[in-house]
Amino acid sequence: MLARFWMACRVGGIALLLFAPITGLVLSGYRLEGHWQTPLLLAAVVTVGHFLFSVLLHHLGGLDRLGVGRAAALPAATIGLSAPKPVWIALLALLTLSLPLVLGKYGLSVAILALIYILLGLGLNIVVGLAGLLDLGFVAFYAVGAYTYALGYHYFHLSFWLALPLGALLAGLFGMVLGFPVLRLHGDYLAIVTLGFGEIIRLVLNNWVAVTGGPNGVSVAFPTLFGLEFSRKAKQGGIPIHEFFGIDYSANHRSLFLYFLLLGVVGLLILMVIRLKRMPIGRAWEALRENEVACRSLGIHHVTVKLSAFGLGAMVGGVGGVFFAALQGFVNPSSFTFFESAYILAIVVLGGMGSTSGVIAAALLLTVMPELLRDFSDYRVLSVGMAMVLMMVWRPRGLRQRRRPFFALPAEAAERVA
Amino acid sequence: MQKTKQLLLFLAGAFLFCLSGQAVQASEPIKIGVAGPFSGSDASFGEQFWRGVEQGAADLNAAGGILGRPLQLVKADDACEPKQASAVASRLVDREKVAAVIGHFCSSSTIPASAIYADAGVLMITPGSTNPLVTERNLSTVFRMCGRDDQQGVVGAEFIVQRLNGQRVAVLHDKTTYGQGLADAMKKRLHVLGKQEVLYEGLTRGEKDFNALVTKLKAVQTDAVYFGGYHSEAGPLVRQMREQGMKAPLVSGDGIFSEILVTSAGGPAFVDGVYMTFGADPRNLPAGRGLVEIYRKKGFEPEGYTLYAYATLQAIAAAMHATQSVEGEKLAQWLHNNAVETVMGKKAWDSKGDLQVSDYVMYRWDDKGKYKEVD
Amino acid sequence: MDIYIFGQQWVNGLVLGSTYGLIAVGYTMVYGIIGMINFAHGEIYMISAYLTAIFLALLGTFGLQSVPVVLVLVLLGTVLLTALYGWSVERIAYRPLRNSNRLAPLISAIGISLILQNYIRISQGARNQGVPPVIDGVWRIPANAVDQHFVQITHLQSLIVVTAFASMAVLTWIIHHTALGRACRATQQDRVMANLLGVDTDRIISVVFVMGAAMAAVAGMLVTLNYGSFDFYIGFLMGIKAFTAAVLGGIGSLPGAMLGGVVLGLAESFFAGFVNSDYKDVFAFSLLILFLIFRPSGFLGVPEVEKV
Repeated sequence: MLARFWMACRVGGIALLLFAPITGLVLSGYRLEGHWQTPLLLAAVVTVGHFLFSVLLHHLGGLDRLGVGRAAALPAATIGLSAPKPVWIALLALLTLSLPLVLGKYGLSVAILALIYILLGLGLNIVVGLAGLLDLGFVAFYAVGAYTYALGYHYFHLSFWLALPLGALLAGLFGMVLGFPVLRLHGDYLAIVTLGFGEIIRLVLNNWVAVTGGPNGVSVAFPTLFGLEFSRKAKQGGIPIHEFFGIDYSANHRSLFLYFLLLGVVGLLILMVIRLKRMPIGRAWEALRENEVACRSLGIHHVTVKLSAFGLGAMVGGVGGVFFAALQGFVNPSSFTFFESAYILAIVVLGGMGSTSGVIAAALLLTVMPELLRDFSDYRVLSVGMAMVLMMVWRPRGLRQRRRPFFALPAEAAERVA
Repeated sequence: MQKTKQLLLFLAGAFLFCLSGQAVQASEPIKIGVAGPFSGSDASFGEQFWRGVEQGAADLNAAGGILGRPLQLVKADDACEPKQASAVASRLVDREKVAAVIGHFCSSSTIPASAIYADAGVLMITPGSTNPLVTERNLSTVFRMCGRDDQQGVVGAEFIVQRLNGQRVAVLHDKTTYGQGLADAMKKRLHVLGKQEVLYEGLTRGEKDFNALVTKLKAVQTDAVYFGGYHSEAGPLVRQMREQGMKAPLVSGDGIFSEILVTSAGGPAFVDGVYMTFGADPRNLPAGRGLVEIYRKKGFEPEGYTLYAYATLQAIAAAMHATQSVEGEKLAQWLHNNAVETVMGKKAWDSKGDLQVSDYVMYRWDDKGKYKEVD
Repeated sequence: MDIYIFGQQWVNGLVLGSTYGLIAVGYTMVYGIIGMINFAHGEIYMISAYLTAIFLALLGTFGLQSVPVVLVLVLLGTVLLTALYGWSVERIAYRPLRNSNRLAPLISAIGISLILQNYIRISQGARNQGVPPVIDGVWRIPANAVDQHFVQITHLQSLIVVTAFASMAVLTWIIHHTALGRACRATQQDRVMANLLGVDTDRIISVVFVMGAAMAAVAGMLVTLNYGSFDFYIGFLMGIKAFTAAVLGGIGSLPGAMLGGVVLGLAESFFAGFVNSDYKDVFAFSLLILFLIFRPSGFLGVPEVEKV
């Protein structure tokens, strides 16, 4: 106990050293203001916190019991992919479908944002989680999608419904063009190239004022549903939906429309990913991730296989971008910074790479939590950062461990092998 | 003492109101959203907003509130990011049910957010977004308390050509909505005045090394530099110009209107001869003298947009008093047609929501790190 | 184009590149030893800028006047405390993740950089901060006798270049000729084996983080004195640029980091000076991508052999 106490004191001492100049001496012009109580208070909190935590940990039986740093447990030996029971799926569907009834416009806009991040997370999950390609510039494809819709609408009055496949196609194309020369390279170089590419796309969008409007951005019209508009008065030559159905106007209609549409897209994507995981191409992705040399010697063409994952991920990013443009009604380059890429990557890693449900949970966590924290506006981003570090220390492999389809040998066969 | 008395009177009044059974109506506060960058690199402007509105609300509440209801402020941080701006805008409208919004600051945030306010029929007045697009989109409930970049650029261009006799003008910007808008307006006016700029380029926000650009300015032998952007870049830029022996004056807009410019330039010696456009300093107006004293007593210099934010709240209060309502459409209609007496003098708006009179004037920094209106 | 403009751009690029190089050391060493991109390194640099200003102001209140004494004290304080920050970050956010997958430390690095940025913003305010000029003086070489054109380098700028190259030389010497350096190289080559042979690899990794942070602190102090202006957001852009420099030079190689920094600085200067400063960063990143495609190991890196 005494040893723990001294350890806590040492930690507190270091904390005091760290905090003293930064929090205790506040710059004001070229002079300083002293706030000597702040570092003392912070250091005291650290000392007491460390002490209590270490005592508590001792009584709970160490970090292992809490699951810190625990290695991935082998899944139970069942054959094939263990699918969730239909009851749960039905319940989940009911929940998501009835959610808009309880949410207001604000809640709905958060839900839509969360769905967009789920979409982006699932897209990046194909690239990072399944194929094991570290992509630090995913936001580039997101931007391509958003600008396809925005510029397409601006110049050619491209409709949302056309922009959706076109944005996906263009983003996928960009992914292929970028990926082709780079995917031959060793994994980490890909990360750096994609980082550079993400920045290039943003800078070009910002600088090429004649076409993209530069930092002023481009305005986008809200999507229509079979020519029915969601605005109070008709703006695009259609009929407002509330007049068509003879109901009162509500700004919620458009949010509802986007919500259900996104829900459908996300659902489709989830189904697609589940199927892909079982198909030869999905197997090839995961195999390449595990051991590239072995795969190549078995005759898998690594560039084509990687390219397919990279391109598919980019396409999903493009779809996310089109939805983002539709939601915002306005696109400008400041939405596509490197931080955005890092955030999407954080969703994938927090969720547990390769796990669909984990990615969804992490996307919800990382979009809903900052909104809940809005009341602590000053400490909001700080808490998000702390959550990221703590989550990683607590569960380095993410919320959900990866589950792969696999086949277990029958008992006697296993015995023979052993 | 006076204030305490007023407060007591108000409390007594409120108490009586409660007794008469109209409690819900009377004591329920009117919520006003204050949106701006309270975090991120532009947070100092957000603080000016908040200080302005906070004092304004305190004064109004001390005088009995609006329509007999107290004011309650709701802080909404957009960090000058469009996505966050949309999120806080729908939060203010839907969750907080604000009657009006004061904000946002960065034009790139104001533009998407204003669409949400207009859609919900909530009055929005920005004290500081100067990009023309804010009021150019037929949104009936959107106003601004400041001028527009195209007006500001005109003043800057005419000053450079007519007063500084600039022959070889270089136009720089920081590639933001605000900075580039300003630079473009300036360039346009320059062409009208029969001058062609010798250089038109952007620099990267967040960088501090502009030496290469400064050497280039020297190479094209410019004799006046116009910069559209904020003080965090203008400071290092002017310092590096002086260090490389360039004597050409630097002219900029309201984005550098803060004494932080001196700190970020590395001392008053470097800002000597920097010019900037801003509305006629509200601190010099007779209407605001008492208020400025109150701020200074609290140790806060009400520079930049502080008084703009205060005046914005006054305009909203005036509209609510006159219409006896908190409905955005009604308030907006009233503001379009009536002038308001504020701490910054009389203000009136045109049908787009812009101020009818733009009062941009030129200021000059001296070697003591202070600025004064150029006469 | 006049020759003096060319010469001046050369100086600009060299100074900028030297600061990139100093910060790139942190990236290259950490990557070399644990194969991780330390995204929080830029924030460590940012913290050192604040520490510089704080110590400078603190010594000012004590009335210390002698410039060399002030500089040495500020340098000492800044380097020590920044190194402590580097060490703590490694201890808190990276060491617990030592044996987990490759991406976990990356995410916790991003988390740390959010934490550090907002920690500074909350405690020091969001406004731009600055330091008064400490070292004045400039060398000017006249371009010709007729007009007044010249190429110049300020005393502080020359100090930046000299310090950068000198500290790089010292660091390279440490890595190649001391017992500590040998342990570092052993850990880099094979951590498990080094551990078996009695090298305390955890300690070595800590040392690497401390060295990287110390170099970033040197850069942070010199850059702060040179430009006189900083805010809590400067770490991000500087971090990305320095990282680019590390890759250009061949990640894992110390002299490569310096070389990459100087090449990047010169490329930026010349592109901004003679082509267009709007597309300066686009050019820098394109250079990076082209380099990775055609010579992935950078200038001085060793081509990687795939191990089976």
